[in-house]
Amino acid sequence: MSQPQRKAVLNLYKTLLFLGRDWPQGYDLFRKRLHKVFSKNSEETDPNKIKIMIKHGEFVIKEIEALYKLKKYRAMKRRYYDDN
Amino acid sequence: MAAANIFRSAFGGLLRKSTTYRTPVTCRLSSVALQQKIHTVKAAVKLYNIQSLQNGYSTGAQSKPSIDEIKERVLKVCRAYDKLSGSQLTVESHFMNDLGLDSLDHVEVIMAMEDEFGFEIPDADAERLVRPKDIIQYVADKEDIYE
Repeated sequence: MSQPQRKAVLNLYKTLLFLGRDWPQGYDLFRKRLHKVFSKNSEETDPNKIKIMIKHGEFVIKEIEALYKLKKYRAMKRRYYDDN
Repeated sequence: MAAANIFRSAFGGLLRKSTTYRTPVTCRLSSVALQQKIHTVKAAVKLYNIQSLQNGYSTGAQSKPSIDEIKERVLKVCRAYDKLSGSQLTVESHFMNDLGLDSLDHVEVIMAMEDEFGFEIPDADAERLVRPKDIIQYVADKEDIYE
């Protein structure tokens, strides 16, 4: 793996770990899954494929952020309106 | 209509009179009160500053961790990490070569260090910190602690 991509992947891993701290099912589960997924693709050498994977990782970051926002919104809604 | 005008002017005069007489007095009173308040606040702040300065001097040396303390904390964080708990950990052992961690685990260890010491370690620096010894040195440099 070339150096800039290595840095990008490690940065992605770190960002995802930070996001995983508030994971509903617990940080440990998130950490183990994330490690498994990253190490599964660690043998990849094709720069283009790695690029696509990094893109996918960034997409996952956005998804997790959206999930947290939705969770927050639902919690707020439950507090302000009783029934629905 | 005329009566109303007269009444209004009389009332207005009364009002004006009262305002011209009263405002300076009240103003002066309030300004005196304000000055007194400022004085008390200034005195309190001065007292507080002196106290905090004295406290700062007395506890300053103790609040800074020694190099042994940093070593203790670094090793504690390493031991707390689940993949390192069983291995024989020393300050000299290399995370990847001796302890069998991959680069992802290394990122996790560095993140744990960031939490422990409360500052961010940039990726470029984190790459070089491959032994507990390196981390101890890095933290000590950051906190201006020398042996």
